[in-house]
Amino acid sequence: MSWVGATIVRERTGAAQRIRASAAAIVAWWWGLVLAFALLASLRLFLPLPFLNEVVIFSIYTVGCNFLLGRVGFISFGQPAYLAVGAYAAAFYLYYFGNNAYVGILVGVAAGIAVALVVGPLFVRLRSDYFALINLALAVIIFYLMQKVLADITHGDNGLWFLTRLASTPVLDLTRPDRFFIFACLVGFAVWAFYKYLDDSVFGACCLAAKVNDDKLKFLGYSNFAIRLTAFVIANSTTALAGAMYAVYLGFVSPEITSPARAADPVVVTILGGAGTLYGPIVGSLTYTGMKDLISRVMVNWELVVGFLIVFIMLAGERGIWGTLQPRLQKLVRRMRAGTGADSGGERR
Amino acid sequence: MIGTHLLTSGIIFGLSIGSIYFLMTIGLSLCFGLMRIISLDQLLYYSLGAYVTYSVSLATGTLWLGILGGVLVAGAASRAVERLVFRRTYQRELTFSMITSFGILIGGVGIIKYFWGLVPRPVPVPIAAQLDILGTEVPVYRLVVIGIALAVYAGIWLFLHRTIIGKAIRAGIEDAEHVEGLGINVHRLFTITFVIAGSLSGLAGALHAPLIMVDPQMGLEVLAFAFMVVIIGGLGSIKGTLVSSLIVGQVISLGSLVYAPLAQMAPFAVMLLILLVRPTGLFGSALLKR
Repeated sequence: MSWVGATIVRERTGAAQRIRASAAAIVAWWWGLVLAFALLASLRLFLPLPFLNEVVIFSIYTVGCNFLLGRVGFISFGQPAYLAVGAYAAAFYLYYFGNNAYVGILVGVAAGIAVALVVGPLFVRLRSDYFALINLALAVIIFYLMQKVLADITHGDNGLWFLTRLASTPVLDLTRPDRFFIFACLVGFAVWAFYKYLDDSVFGACCLAAKVNDDKLKFLGYSNFAIRLTAFVIANSTTALAGAMYAVYLGFVSPEITSPARAADPVVVTILGGAGTLYGPIVGSLTYTGMKDLISRVMVNWELVVGFLIVFIMLAGERGIWGTLQPRLQKLVRRMRAGTGADSGGERR
Repeated sequence: MIGTHLLTSGIIFGLSIGSIYFLMTIGLSLCFGLMRIISLDQLLYYSLGAYVTYSVSLATGTLWLGILGGVLVAGAASRAVERLVFRRTYQRELTFSMITSFGILIGGVGIIKYFWGLVPRPVPVPIAAQLDILGTEVPVYRLVVIGIALAVYAGIWLFLHRTIIGKAIRAGIEDAEHVEGLGINVHRLFTITFVIAGSLSGLAGALHAPLIMVDPQMGLEVLAFAFMVVIIGGLGSIKGTLVSSLIVGQVISLGSLVYAPLAQMAPFAVMLLILLVRPTGLFGSALLKR
């Protein structure tokens, strides 16, 4: 009998070990995300709220571009197009139909998915240079569409103002900037968890394969077209989400959101932060928004500085801020862990 | 539905717009063909050409001198940019040059705003005369623009097919490494091509200036149309650029006769249709990345 008891005990300890191991894995998977967003939220103590809201939304805006550029190898110069789709869909709903900000954001995301599904099959077949050009063309077309062609509905350059129409929502009142910040951080956290999951999944590996060697991917039995289309839709619906959040946060939308002068913003921020890294977009957005804010305070002519900054960033470094910092941080973390004797694995990527 | 008068003037208008797009995009196309870069800063030389035309013609009173000045300044600016920036990007990926040149475009627009301000400026039309074609009065200046574009096309063709440098450039488009192996300085070819491209973009801006108001955002406004021309024609093909710029010009002009907002939308629809059939444009070969 004691023999049976011993097995049970052994099994129990085995189960406990397994639970502990999986708990450790879960912690290892999540702690980077939690830390990143805790840091972002704690910036609230030092920095003004409008600036931080801008940074969080801009990060979500950039993460789609980062995924396309770093994982799938598509450079999308037309992200403002999908940003505008999300923003205008939310704005149309909030201006003409309802007044619930949550529903507005959902409408924006749905519109983003719909547009990406319509143009995606056409675009993802193209070579990467044509892909970049046609996306920029789409952004400019949407700019004209909103500024001139649909001026009856969009009020042209004046934009749609619906800030006063927004009803306060339950749980988190999105009409208040401080509540909106909490909401934006939560959404950002969810988006990042989703992208981190994608990176770990088979689909993420397929995306990377489509970037590196699409012939081999085909050889393995995957459809290049399907993978690229899925990635395209995912990335652009994230961008549309950012657009809808912009609309709700600002309470107005104008064609300025998709102006050709801002077309390179997400690409530049992606590269500034480090293309293909998970936290690059946050670091990049923080830096870029901060710089723009400071420069525009000193001089009206911020385009001049931003333009040459782009050139300088491109010539100076390819790996970006986070791409340079991350290996050093990893080394630091590993050294600290070696000191405490814990295993190292699943560091922040 | 549309009268003959309207149709004739519409076609002439389309031809002149197409000519300007041709001059503007041939630079993009040449640069892509030879150097495998996408040089968005061509649109900066376009605006620069227009602004110099404005200033010089205001100072001297003749537009033709202004146009000459615009072309020269655009060429000089493109040479400087090639020296300072593009030299460092030739070895990199294609998208790299695209972002860098976009930075130059944005920065250059900032410089233009700094020197000339935000207010749109009018440039007087040099030839006020009208010509009678099929009973329709057509502005002579537009015909002159079409003539200049045709002359440039012929000149480029002769340059590429009849001169040693032009032949070297064409060979470079086929295979740059082989050309280098023959002892030809490829980087000098790059500079020559880039300066030609920049000057032609400047010429496009200078010729366009009297037809529109000159304003700092003009380069960004034509950006979409430049892209459509390049995409429809196929990157790297000069014949394709000519054909597609004529198509886009006519689509804009005749489209706007049918329904005004079509002017902006119709070329885009045409581009999507053509891409459905031929993903690399009408004359674009399935060029490999270097």
